[in-house]
Amino acid sequence: MSTSTFIERSKFTCALGGALTTLAGLPRTVPIVHASGGCAGALSGAYNVAAGYRGVGYCGGGMIPTSNIAENNIVFGGEERLEEQIENTLVALDADLYVVLTGCQVEIIGDDAVSVARRFRGDNVIGVSTPGFLGNTFKGYDEVLTAIVGELIVPVANKDPLTVNLFGVVPGHDVFFRGNLDELTRLLARVGIHTNTFFGTGESIDRIRGYGDASLSIVLSPAAGEKPARKFEEVHGTPFVLDELPIGPTATAEFLRRIGGKLGVAPALIETVIADESGYYYSYFERIVDIYSDVDFQRYAIVSADSYYAHTLTRFLANDLGWIPHLTAINDLFDDDERAEYLKRFDDINSETKPVVVFETNAGQLLKHVRNSWARNKNEKYYDALSPAYVVGTGIERGLAEKLGAGFLAVAFPVSNRVILHKAITGFSGALTLVEDLITNLVAAR
Amino acid sequence: MSKYSEELTYSFTGQVAPPVRETRIGVCAAYCGECSELISDVQSGCAQLQERKFAQSGGCQLGLAVGIVSSLTNVVVIIHSPLGCCSGFVGSGGLRKTMRASKGKRDEDFVWIHTNLDEMDVVSGGIPKLRDAILYAEREYHPDAIVIANSCVPGIIGDDIDSLVSELDGRLSARLVPVHCEGFKSRYVASGYDSAYHGVLRHLIDPLVKYEKAVPDENQELRDRLRYSRVVNILNVGSNSNGDEVELSRLVSALGLEPRVIPLHTSLDDLARLREAALNVSICATHDDYLLGHLKERFGTPYIIDTLPIGITSTSRWLRLIAEFFHLEAEAERLIELETADLREALKPFRKVLEGKKIFVGGGETRIITTAEFFAKELGMKLVGIKAHNIDRFVEEIGPDLLGDELHVNVAAGQPAEELAVLTQLKPDLYCGHSGANGWVSRIGIPNLPLFGQALNYMGYGGAYELARKAVKALKNTNFVKNVSNNVSLPLRDSWLERDTKLNIKEAAAV
Repeated sequence: MSTSTFIERSKFTCALGGALTTLAGLPRTVPIVHASGGCAGALSGAYNVAAGYRGVGYCGGGMIPTSNIAENNIVFGGEERLEEQIENTLVALDADLYVVLTGCQVEIIGDDAVSVARRFRGDNVIGVSTPGFLGNTFKGYDEVLTAIVGELIVPVANKDPLTVNLFGVVPGHDVFFRGNLDELTRLLARVGIHTNTFFGTGESIDRIRGYGDASLSIVLSPAAGEKPARKFEEVHGTPFVLDELPIGPTATAEFLRRIGGKLGVAPALIETVIADESGYYYSYFERIVDIYSDVDFQRYAIVSADSYYAHTLTRFLANDLGWIPHLTAINDLFDDDERAEYLKRFDDINSETKPVVVFETNAGQLLKHVRNSWARNKNEKYYDALSPAYVVGTGIERGLAEKLGAGFLAVAFPVSNRVILHKAITGFSGALTLVEDLITNLVAAR
Repeated sequence: MSKYSEELTYSFTGQVAPPVRETRIGVCAAYCGECSELISDVQSGCAQLQERKFAQSGGCQLGLAVGIVSSLTNVVVIIHSPLGCCSGFVGSGGLRKTMRASKGKRDEDFVWIHTNLDEMDVVSGGIPKLRDAILYAEREYHPDAIVIANSCVPGIIGDDIDSLVSELDGRLSARLVPVHCEGFKSRYVASGYDSAYHGVLRHLIDPLVKYEKAVPDENQELRDRLRYSRVVNILNVGSNSNGDEVELSRLVSALGLEPRVIPLHTSLDDLARLREAALNVSICATHDDYLLGHLKERFGTPYIIDTLPIGITSTSRWLRLIAEFFHLEAEAERLIELETADLREALKPFRKVLEGKKIFVGGGETRIITTAEFFAKELGMKLVGIKAHNIDRFVEEIGPDLLGDELHVNVAAGQPAEELAVLTQLKPDLYCGHSGANGWVSRIGIPNLPLFGQALNYMGYGGAYELARKAVKALKNTNFVKNVSNNVSLPLRDSWLERDTKLNIKEAAAV
């Protein structure tokens, strides 16, 4: 029996969707999807819109080569059709890497797409098994990066002591992925650490081939990236650490100390950089001090996100911005041990009020959690309401915010009510943009 | 009138799923060549046997089917699948709010549920999860209907969703509507419309219940029949805007008839009264011949499936056919004369800008033929080619009239690689196409405008004016596409863009 359950308004696509959005983040990479005709375009389309209008990328949407399997292939098998499709893709499309992905249909009937892809190894074709039923977005990200780590990245004996790999930042699913990677790259470079980001500015398939000299992998998500990091350790001998995407001055300072410390960076350099960055952050943050204080912009914060953003956002809102962390809902961890482990992260919330933390995968249940977390109005003359509140979550929570009369900002996938280009929310400058966006919504009607 | 009823049959509601369009209608889905060749190849049956060597991702019938049924008021949609199918709702779910608002309907959160099938379910079946999801939907949302969209995985492993529906039906307050729209079953995505309407017809259209009046009126039935004798159902589609519906209703009202727009965005109560009409009128044959054919067979309601009322010729033709049914020919001519005289005068400045410019139109077959005809005949543009998702019998009558023999025709659902090669070679000044295509056309530097939009008007005489206005607007500043094409790279090789797209077409392998 399956241990998973149905999900109301899932904030994920499937493994194939995760694989496609991951490939769309890689430079000059073409997916070849062995599946029925609609899967690739629809999944890519979800990220085109819901990842803050990230677009389809170099070869997404209707451009994605697809074997277009139909009923007769389900009966007779589709490997021949896939072979023809790969051959013709090489004729039509120019890329540095072609990745064959599979959909549910061909996996159930037993096509061996990875073997078919292997026949084209000389043409930079690799194959990855990614049927939707394997799991959610993160599963597809893990499978694709694991294949790249195993098949594309060339083993290097001599490691560079100050080069790190960043795993867990899932393109599209983190709608700020590229801005975030660029900000982390900038910050780590200030303390002398070089980053391998896969998806950040300036990457290329050629550069990725050379990632083998990294001496540490940093996994920034509890739910994605550990598998390829393990593979990296297995193939390239590089250890990994599980960490978290830092948002704001407090978390980012600690992040730099942790990572710098691991790699033996001089503590004095780290502290100088932290002081400098923190000064920069507050020199801008100072601008909202007046309006924040004069009209009271402190809010009860309701956070709804996956495990990648839920804690780190709550921490920023509570420890840095001074909002009251009321309720945080996490929509992606299913295992009891994983949940218990994740709950420990909230020990570092240092506000007088601590948040209620729930794991809830059904979007419609969030309103109930909010109601159950606060004494109801029994028509008292004086009622201490959960107000003013602010929902920081995914686009799905717009309806929740409307029902609560709360402010609202979508930061976690899906985000379809604003456009995200080069913004970040990580680090020091990312947190400034986050504050800009949060407060903008409070003054938008003026 | 109701011509397809003579060629096609619509009595499939004894089956759990309708036949796919490949078998029910016969479709050409891959072609590249001149219009005259295509027509003779369709007649000989050759065109229907073609496939492509290099294929790109098109649509999925699941998405189209769910698009229809998810628009109904107070429904919950269960996607019986892994998490990916219809996951585009994360981006488009909010549009339901805006569409309903534009029609003045009550705001509703759109609720969808995935059964989230995993590897274990592939082995042991997904029915237990589906049952849980149905009961959850009923308990939490009390919807009027719970739609169950069946995807590839349960389709291949053989989940019997209909037995579950039989078991639960009548025990819930919600009506259960299974929709069999497994993507792998049809390459022709419009099969999804049939799948959706099949579910609606099988599970939501019951015998009308008449309640006894407190004060009996022996003439009530006659009165009702008199009223319905003037009612015209206008069948809307997912790609039309509320403005389109308002415009078409205005024209039908002007003939002295009572327009009623169905079935998208309506309630179950509205659907129950589908039959209370003198005539059903389609605005897009691709969408609703299955529904209208069935209503004709079941209730005897005649229908018109002909053209899509875009541009002057097609709108007038659409109106004349309706008027003819009600013997209102003289009224129609007066209306058409009045409307088109005003419109042609208003179009004059636009025509000046557009005359002689080359245009290419891509998208659904009836939509592009009528749209292209408007650009060519009324605005004086030079039509250099069209790209149809597919070609079938529904354009046999309107197609050849409107298009020249030598016109370049590409038949392809999506397939931007072929389309961009064609466009690179034909070099139109303006492109008008289906969503998903326009971004690629921008990347090759051709100014473009969308073929449809839920917030834009296209249909009727008012829509014709809007369409011309948009075309002129697109040419008022073409810097966006220039900058994009100069700076954003395309994955297609130059050798591909230069070669004859016919080389990508092959005869289908025998099955």
